[in-house]
Amino acid sequence: MAEMVKSFRPYVTWANARGAWPDMIFSTRVRFARNLQGFPFSNRAEPRQLAEIRRLALAAARETGLFPRGHFLKLETLSQLDKRFLVERHHVSHLLAAAVLPAGAAVSNDEDLSVMVNEEDHLRLQCLAAGFAIEEAFASALKLEGLLGRALPFAYGPRFGFLTACPTNTGTGMRVSCLAHLPALSRLGRMPQVLENLSHLGVTARGIYGEGTFVLGDFYQISNATCLGRSEEDFCQNIDRVIRNLIRQEIAARETLLKGPLKLKTEDAVFRALGLLRHARTLSYEEFMQNISLARMGAAMGWNMGLDFSTFNQVTLLMQPGHIQAAAGRELNPAERDAFRAEFLRKKLC
Amino acid sequence: MLCEECRKHNAVVFLKLAVNNKVSELHLCPACAAKKGMGFGPETGAFNISDIVGNMSGYFKDFLPQERKTLRCRGCGLKYSEFKETGRLGCPDCYVSFEPQLNELMTRIHGSAQHQGRAYAGGPALKLSKAETARRLEELRSALKDAVAREDFEAAARLRDALKGLEGRHG
Repeated sequence: MAEMVKSFRPYVTWANARGAWPDMIFSTRVRFARNLQGFPFSNRAEPRQLAEIRRLALAAARETGLFPRGHFLKLETLSQLDKRFLVERHHVSHLLAAAVLPAGAAVSNDEDLSVMVNEEDHLRLQCLAAGFAIEEAFASALKLEGLLGRALPFAYGPRFGFLTACPTNTGTGMRVSCLAHLPALSRLGRMPQVLENLSHLGVTARGIYGEGTFVLGDFYQISNATCLGRSEEDFCQNIDRVIRNLIRQEIAARETLLKGPLKLKTEDAVFRALGLLRHARTLSYEEFMQNISLARMGAAMGWNMGLDFSTFNQVTLLMQPGHIQAAAGRELNPAERDAFRAEFLRKKLC
Repeated sequence: MLCEECRKHNAVVFLKLAVNNKVSELHLCPACAAKKGMGFGPETGAFNISDIVGNMSGYFKDFLPQERKTLRCRGCGLKYSEFKETGRLGCPDCYVSFEPQLNELMTRIHGSAQHQGRAYAGGPALKLSKAETARRLEELRSALKDAVAREDFEAAARLRDALKGLEGRHG
């Protein structure tokens, strides 16, 4: 495993703290789902067709010139741990990591661009950007999409737009999402209501690794729920509005947590979390996420946590189970992982 | 707190999920969590969505209109009933074969059945490998033979054009 992981950088630029609300918006992602004309969709294609699609797609990605010194991967040749690492870096979905048939991925050297091949759709191409950066991520993803669309014939019709395996992605095939950290809303128990409201705005919230994944450390992926019937720019603007609104709600919730008797409770919870992160001798990923969430909120509230937001973000990436094992250079069982994580974190925090 | 699954053992695995814009919490004992393939739960970050919200394809079943049993995609042969079951289409031609039914579904899902985003002028012909080209030629020739035997001249003409196109491109 070590070889593939070693070829990746230890830190990624899209995890740098940046933009107007670095404490609340971790990163922005824009992805397009595309399929090749002349092949069945991935779920109905035969292995040799999938291999052919992968050959064409990876060659086209290379030819765009956007992947210099990039990674071109055949998923079935990778170890479980390699794939886990790619999932944690948000380049590969759980679905693709579990694929046994020919599947692939192209990832740019600084990991802002990637293309998944033979996921539910032949191509899932994306741009990841640090902080709240919808316009930037959209422009980069669109550039990649445009170049690939000139090299490969995409399945398209004037009525339904870009044709995808699942009708929920048909049309623009675009999903724009922000990874938002909403600890105060969660702490006040307001998230169920917030999510309920989102559903009326054509927006959906998912767990940290996207569809079908857990909510960890109060991180939510907020994205457009529909893809058809509006322009790409409209979908972006809608998410932009919704995120700004969520930020306002989170700020209000943080103010509530700092009022009257709640303030001492909040401060106590934050510093207890920091103490645990600094001194624990064994730390599960879930426990880490719960506590880093509080420490991160504490930093945003102006208390000295000893870390800036970029370090918070990078540490959050590095503490994931696959990254822990990559740092250890071998597979670890959960107990070994928790011990390694606690020690690794102490070094980072001191 | 007791495990929500077996209601016998103490729940020690607490999972929080955001599904369909609802936060749901699941409290399980280790044995039931392991049974659901969630032994590591958040460690892997993934769960089996159908265990928690039921099969999502019910959504398509409810919203797709009834159709005669024989309706199939003329491209890949996917049965309409299979599409209703899984919610996944088989190939770009499915969108033509099931257009009326999809119109209804798209309006339900997206609030519209007309693409308003960027138009696509089309890409170049695929640079297929020799093996794939040979296989496709073989398939077309055999289908052409069948069509001629059936005296389906419309299909035969279409296949002949496709054959010519493929031969022309690849010699």
